[in-house]
Amino acid sequence: MVCSDARSRVFQYLDQEPPEEQWSALESHLTTCRDCRRLVDGERRFRELYMAPLRPDPAPQHVRDQIARLLDALPDRPAAVARSPWTLRRRLVAGLALFALGTLLGAGLGGFFGGERPWHRGNAPLMRLADASVEQHQKLARGILPPDIQHVAPKAAEQWFKARLNFNVSLPELRGEDLTLLGGRVSHLRDLEVAALHYQVDGKDVSLFIMPLDKYASLGLSDSPKFKLVTRQGYDVIVWASHGAAYSLVSEIGGRSCLVCHSREEKLDLPTDSRAHDKL
Amino acid sequence: MDDKVEFQELFLAQLDSVHHYALLLARNTSEADDLLQETLLRAFRGFHSFKRELSFKVWVFKIMKNTHIDRARRLRVRPVEEEWQGDDEQRKDPSREVALYPVPLNPEEILLRRVTIEQVTEAITNLPPVLREVVELREMEGLSYQQIAEILGKPIGTIMSRLYRGRTLVRSVLEGPASAGFKSRSAYGL
Repeated sequence: MVCSDARSRVFQYLDQEPPEEQWSALESHLTTCRDCRRLVDGERRFRELYMAPLRPDPAPQHVRDQIARLLDALPDRPAAVARSPWTLRRRLVAGLALFALGTLLGAGLGGFFGGERPWHRGNAPLMRLADASVEQHQKLARGILPPDIQHVAPKAAEQWFKARLNFNVSLPELRGEDLTLLGGRVSHLRDLEVAALHYQVDGKDVSLFIMPLDKYASLGLSDSPKFKLVTRQGYDVIVWASHGAAYSLVSEIGGRSCLVCHSREEKLDLPTDSRAHDKL
Repeated sequence: MDDKVEFQELFLAQLDSVHHYALLLARNTSEADDLLQETLLRAFRGFHSFKRELSFKVWVFKIMKNTHIDRARRLRVRPVEEEWQGDDEQRKDPSREVALYPVPLNPEEILLRRVTIEQVTEAITNLPPVLREVVELREMEGLSYQQIAEILGKPIGTIMSRLYRGRTLVRSVLEGPASAGFKSRSAYGL
């Protein structure tokens, strides 16, 4: 074996992973070649000094807590969360049915939530925010993102967020029997730290994400219309800014999700354009 | 021992490593948290298929890698793998690296410079993601070439090539002028 071959195998040699057929030739070369031997010794010393101490940092406490909660919440048997072929088939059929329904409605009605509007056509920042909101909503609704606080009054939730976020979170009082604040947590819409609230309205999951106005402004969304309404992945997303904060509301129930902030008595003739919602 | 208890014990025992790998793959800490949680659920769902004679860490890493790729597709971002413009296939034979990358391998020079652990860590962190992934799986997690190949779903020759290149780049940075200014990724010509 020549020196250039031996040098190309130094890492493998010290990893004890050279091809078997080259091991003896390599060892034999190292016993006779002083320069290559010196290289191996230097590399070994380098590893002892600099590589051996490298270890992954311990997971931070909040991650340990989250994982511990998630592990505790697992069912007793993995099979209980396994997706059976039946479940997959049912999901597929349901998906196809929804797709067909959506296509019909979309074509027939021009769909308020489903339709493209001139002001959000090609509005990439809005779409990114909406997509991130939908992703977080799905996780909240499916329990993949466990809440840090549960079944608390809005005022108590405000206080909880106040201690953790550097912007004010102001929550509406619950005004209906069919409206429940299930829980909340600090979460992220991409890199944006937000207060995430999980509600149920008429038994349907609704998520409200609240973010500081300056961060929202940095996304570059236009001021008009005030209420930006889009449908992403079958979810209705309403985005707006008001009173020093910005909001993203996600649901599958369109304008009824506004019951999170407004009573049933208020006229919710949502909305054929943004001005209708301005009155709410 | 029932499955749930066994899974809990195995997962908690590897939590630091699994969390570290999530940070390596994800672009930010919140994405890493999400990736970690989704991996946990997927792993538990498939735990009945885990062969006990194999390494739990390698099995979970593999699930996390696949979960990361699925998430990247869902979010329509390029996974780390696709950002690599290297020509791995041409470099399955590490011996060719010597000719292709005639970076002087001189550990004595680095030892004389008395670099710090922090400088070594920074040099690894600044590697292109696919090289960093292989270097860290080997150096920090102590995985074998075969185990890394299983996790990444790549031929072992590709792993050897990336590892060689990653290590050589780290050493070339540490050997650089007084190791003062650490090179950015663009300085690597990548």
